[in-house]
Amino acid sequence: MRARKANPWSIGGWAFLALLTLFSLMPMAWMFITSLKTQFAAAQYPPDWWPRNPTLEEYRELLSPSSAMGQDFLRYMANSVWVSVTTTILGVVVAVPAAYAFSRFRFPGRNLLFYAVLLRNMFPAVVFLMPLFIMMRWLGLVNNHGSLILTYLTFGLPLSIWLLKGFFDNIPPQLEQAARIDGATRFQAFLYVVMPLSSPGIIATAIYSFIVAWNEYVYALTFMNDKTKLTLPVGLQRFFAEHTTNWPGLMAASFIMSVPVVVLFLFLQRHFVKALTEGAVKH
Amino acid sequence: MTGAVAGLVAPAAAPRSRENLLRRIVRHRADYLYVAPALGVMALVIGYPIYYTIHLSFFRTPPNLALDEKIFAGLENYQRILEADTFQEATWNTFVWTIYSTFFSFVLGFGAALALNRAFHGRGLLRGVLLVPYVISAVAASYVWRWLYHSDVGVIGAFATALGLSDGPINFLDNRQWVMASLIVVNVWKEFPFAMIMLMAGLQTVPEQLLSAARVDGAGPWSRFRHVTVPHLKSVILVTVLLLLVTNLNSFTIPYIMTGGGPAGASEIWITHIYQIAFGRIRFGLASAYSVILFVVMMALGYFYVRALTASEEKAAA
Repeated sequence: MRARKANPWSIGGWAFLALLTLFSLMPMAWMFITSLKTQFAAAQYPPDWWPRNPTLEEYRELLSPSSAMGQDFLRYMANSVWVSVTTTILGVVVAVPAAYAFSRFRFPGRNLLFYAVLLRNMFPAVVFLMPLFIMMRWLGLVNNHGSLILTYLTFGLPLSIWLLKGFFDNIPPQLEQAARIDGATRFQAFLYVVMPLSSPGIIATAIYSFIVAWNEYVYALTFMNDKTKLTLPVGLQRFFAEHTTNWPGLMAASFIMSVPVVVLFLFLQRHFVKALTEGAVKH
Repeated sequence: MTGAVAGLVAPAAAPRSRENLLRRIVRHRADYLYVAPALGVMALVIGYPIYYTIHLSFFRTPPNLALDEKIFAGLENYQRILEADTFQEATWNTFVWTIYSTFFSFVLGFGAALALNRAFHGRGLLRGVLLVPYVISAVAASYVWRWLYHSDVGVIGAFATALGLSDGPINFLDNRQWVMASLIVVNVWKEFPFAMIMLMAGLQTVPEQLLSAARVDGAGPWSRFRHVTVPHLKSVILVTVLLLLVTNLNSFTIPYIMTGGGPAGASEIWITHIYQIAFGRIRFGLASAYSVILFVVMMALGYFYVRALTASEEKAAA
């Protein structure tokens, strides 16, 4: 057998991946390292690559209900959890039947409506801000988390409907028919046959809705003025603008805010990528 | 993460029916119940705002938001925007921001997709790690990058100094020359993973036989890439690029938090400018006209988007 020549593409590929990984992770790593420093140590130049006396002080203060900082921070976190979880649940409840209908039923206007839903992604959030702000004011939903939940629902819906439709398309209708012959109603067939088979898609859309709601900034910035109603992304800003910027504190808060989505995502990314991959390109 | 992925999948064409439309609608009335909640929410939160933005764009609105007192002004708002000096600078910035962000996100994403399109141990983990910037909040990302770019104690400046590239701290965000490039780096960091997943999905559909046939015919890696992979991915590439363009044209959080359009408008793009006019100066009429101009550009992109979707549908059907 001939000796294999080293493949320059693969060496280049590895070097590229290594650099890209460094580029992707460096900011997160620096966020964490800074969060372990004291404010004094963070102001040193040149910066220490690793804190000499690492401290969890900022985390302790952010997470303790007895400190003033902790009180605000925990409230923003609770608001974020409430808004994101509600959006996620409602998103699934609304998206699943719609996707099912787009997959199974042949009603007039189906294509038109399906594309109209997808076009949601074409529109900039900021442009909708003015009319929605006026509408929410009129509905009395300014400073009410309902305005955020309602808006965030529409962010997740197009992707959710599209992904789930892909999953439902892949489930043979004969399975439901078999269940119905066995005496199940249409809804039971859906609940016990179709739903379990498409659970990776449902999980993926739920993660997506949660992350979108958890991270959203500009609507939360505009709709919530009451300090007690802020979600984390906006809370973070207000909270560090009031004092001089406490960088280790800000980094600790950013880190805490990032942990849930990153953990959730890393655990479930297989589902997420699988759903995208199956939904994105089918031939 | 607002600029979500949208489908390449298109519904199969329904069999043409001779039955009259109204009858068909009535016969299928129960089907609409399934889509009604989704469409209802979308109509309320999207349909109404589109109408109202266009409506407001023709009015002069009082800065106290007493909208009953708005005065019809015809095309005055449009004229004022197009004639303002700030519009030209913001347009140029929007162009630079959108094109460079899209280009580099696409290239990095494609490179990553190709590199990850091989079986190796830990591939799933690496893919997850590369997706991290995509999932963390743009707010947290903006703050950490501001800290990395910090003009006194920023680690990027310190690193450049240590390498001898600079004599001392660099003012990345407060410098007209550097600010746009600095913001684009952050945006690319946040967005290339999106291009990566889309293209990875596409790469999985390239038939292995085609590649090995090309290999047998003596095609090298570059030629296989050019003549097999790229043509096969044409519609995925098109949709990815269009979605990146749209997302970048719409991005708000990173520029707003990192520079707020500064220094002196050097990083002001359309979106941040619209926000500033609407909620900084409380000129809803003016900002609405600006939004409508943006709409027109978006609709042009949307037209190409739907065409790309339809093309991939026809290809799938063939």
